[in-house]
Amino acid sequence: MISIKNLSKSYGKIKALNQLDLEIAKGTIFGLLGPNGAGKTTLVSILNGLLDFDIGEIEVLGVELGANLKSIRKRSAFIPQALALYDNLSVIENLRFFAGIQNISGTVLRHNLDYAISVNRLEAILEQRAQTLSGGQRRRLNIAIGLLNNPELLYFDEPTVGIDPESRNQILETIRSFKDDAKTVIYTSHYMPEIEKLCDEVAIIDHGRIILKGRLATLLQEEKSDSVVFELLHSSRVQLDAIASQNDDLQVVDAATLLLVRQSSEKVGQLLARLASEEIAIRQLRYGTTNLEALFLRLTATGAADV
Amino acid sequence: MFRAMLVKEFRLVGRDKQALAALFIMPAIFILIMSMALKDTFDSERALVDYAVIDLDETAESVAFGNFLAADKGLHKYESAAATSSERQSALREGLDFVVEIPAGFTEKLLNAPAEKPISLKIYAAADIKKEMLKLFQAKLLSGVQQLRLKDLKQELSPLLSAAALNLAATKFAGFEMSVKEIVTVHFSGQLEGQRPTSTQQSVPSWIVFGLFFVIIPLSTIFIGERQQNTLLRMRAMHVSTPVLLAGKIIPYMVINQLQVWLMIGVGMFVVPLFGADALTLGRSLSGLFMVSFGLSLTAVGTAILIAVSVKTVEQATTIGGIINILLGAIGGIMVPKFYMPEVMQSLARLSPMSWGLDGFLDIFLRGLGSVEVLPEFLKLVSLGGFLLLLAGIIFERNLKTV
Repeated sequence: MISIKNLSKSYGKIKALNQLDLEIAKGTIFGLLGPNGAGKTTLVSILNGLLDFDIGEIEVLGVELGANLKSIRKRSAFIPQALALYDNLSVIENLRFFAGIQNISGTVLRHNLDYAISVNRLEAILEQRAQTLSGGQRRRLNIAIGLLNNPELLYFDEPTVGIDPESRNQILETIRSFKDDAKTVIYTSHYMPEIEKLCDEVAIIDHGRIILKGRLATLLQEEKSDSVVFELLHSSRVQLDAIASQNDDLQVVDAATLLLVRQSSEKVGQLLARLASEEIAIRQLRYGTTNLEALFLRLTATGAADV
Repeated sequence: MFRAMLVKEFRLVGRDKQALAALFIMPAIFILIMSMALKDTFDSERALVDYAVIDLDETAESVAFGNFLAADKGLHKYESAAATSSERQSALREGLDFVVEIPAGFTEKLLNAPAEKPISLKIYAAADIKKEMLKLFQAKLLSGVQQLRLKDLKQELSPLLSAAALNLAATKFAGFEMSVKEIVTVHFSGQLEGQRPTSTQQSVPSWIVFGLFFVIIPLSTIFIGERQQNTLLRMRAMHVSTPVLLAGKIIPYMVINQLQVWLMIGVGMFVVPLFGADALTLGRSLSGLFMVSFGLSLTAVGTAILIAVSVKTVEQATTIGGIINILLGAIGGIMVPKFYMPEVMQSLARLSPMSWGLDGFLDIFLRGLGSVEVLPEFLKLVSLGGFLLLLAGIIFERNLKTV
């Protein structure tokens, strides 16, 4: 479906992508992670033909990108993080406009409109102006616009930013349903739990290179062996940052979670004593388990949950 | 594709009340106000000079002299108290242009001792009176004096003439009593016999030109909004190229410009007369009118897109767009007619596209010329508009490469 070999792209002296290789199979929901500035946006922009690249070979949907951009774009869709729609147009007017500029008409238009509307549950709000919709409805419209050409390949950039949990779950459910339609999804998000719930495979990109790629379940299984997750009560981020600053094997996941990698009974004992001295209670200890965020933090060594 | 873009753009503009006001209501109001404000400017019956007479001579001839002035519809006589110096000063401050004092003994010496230096008429003029107005008024007074002399000569000669000579003299002297209107007919360039340019004919072209450039603000605002909201990016990802994207802006706004032109012409033709001013007439060349409005429109849209791709925020676009609009208008003779400007400013005016457009429209509306005569203005406007669009396209493409 997507094959990238030796891809490099520089902005002046800054190397955004550095001899990057990546393969993504058809029908996969693929999570693309990386810290800010790692090269995710550059990679997605290149795959959508929005940016030129310096060197490398790219095949998308089985054909070479450069020479077949028009046909690739007809079969793919980019759903940007920003709500790329018109507030002053109604839902149906937005959909008809974006279908119109792709020259989609006749029975294909009717079929694809029905599909985009039903998958995103927009039937009841078709005549409403976009500016009057809730955050979740606007996000769903943003996705529906991307489905107007019934694409085989979809790029999602942070599609659930700033919406309530119910709307988020609806959107994730929608994206999961694409797998049944044999669509391929490339998904970037800051929400690690989303990636864990949604994606079959992930790649972590850092400094313009893929530093880890594989099936999510396999990667998490491999990480299990030597880590301990501390789920805490009555703790604060400041306290945990202070504790972690004195221990290279300790990482702060959030204000109530610590991850101890390369664990030993001595290290666990020391940490328990330290937590007691800080009057931080322990809700649960989980040996040999990890989550994607912990894996991500360990690999990128940023010390912050910034994807 | 274009149909979708046109429909979208019209919907966006149609639902933006501020854009509608700026594009259609403001120019229409401008035309109405300016036509009303200037409606007397080209009225030949309108009094140009306000004056008062102090007759210290108090003779039948001095009264006749006063009547001669009063008969001219271009002069409006006020019965102001202006006998004393302070009264004169006060009257001149309050709006009179001139106070004419006929000194005692003026007509006596003028008529009975014509070879001698006469007693001078005195004119007290307002401090801000224009030089041209003073010259005209002096010429009018001289004409009055000559009439007095001729009438006196006729009376002096009459007893000495035979009946035949008397008849001849009566006929010949009658000519001296004729008014300017009877002796002189004025034909205004581009107007039919007996027609004269009206304030509507003068002001509508200016405000059409100005109004067309009002597209700068809605166009650039919508364009920047699309860029900020990533709809432009999305369209590019849907394989809409830069030329097509720009054409999707150029075509609808040029259509909007044409609607503006015909709305403003409609206001000039049908609304302005309802308020007592003259109706606009179309001129003789619809093709010339279309050429000028097309050229202006291309330049206005080019300016708007160039601003939109060059600035980052809507606030910057509205500020810069507003300033450019006003500056081009001020330089181009929209707000102050070019013939009032000094030579240097007139040279500067020739650089403004609004000036080219205005010249073209005045050729059509005022001078009755056609498409051949407005071809130079059309070519200048189209060239500039094309250049601005090309520049905008290059900047837009360059910006896209730095996503």
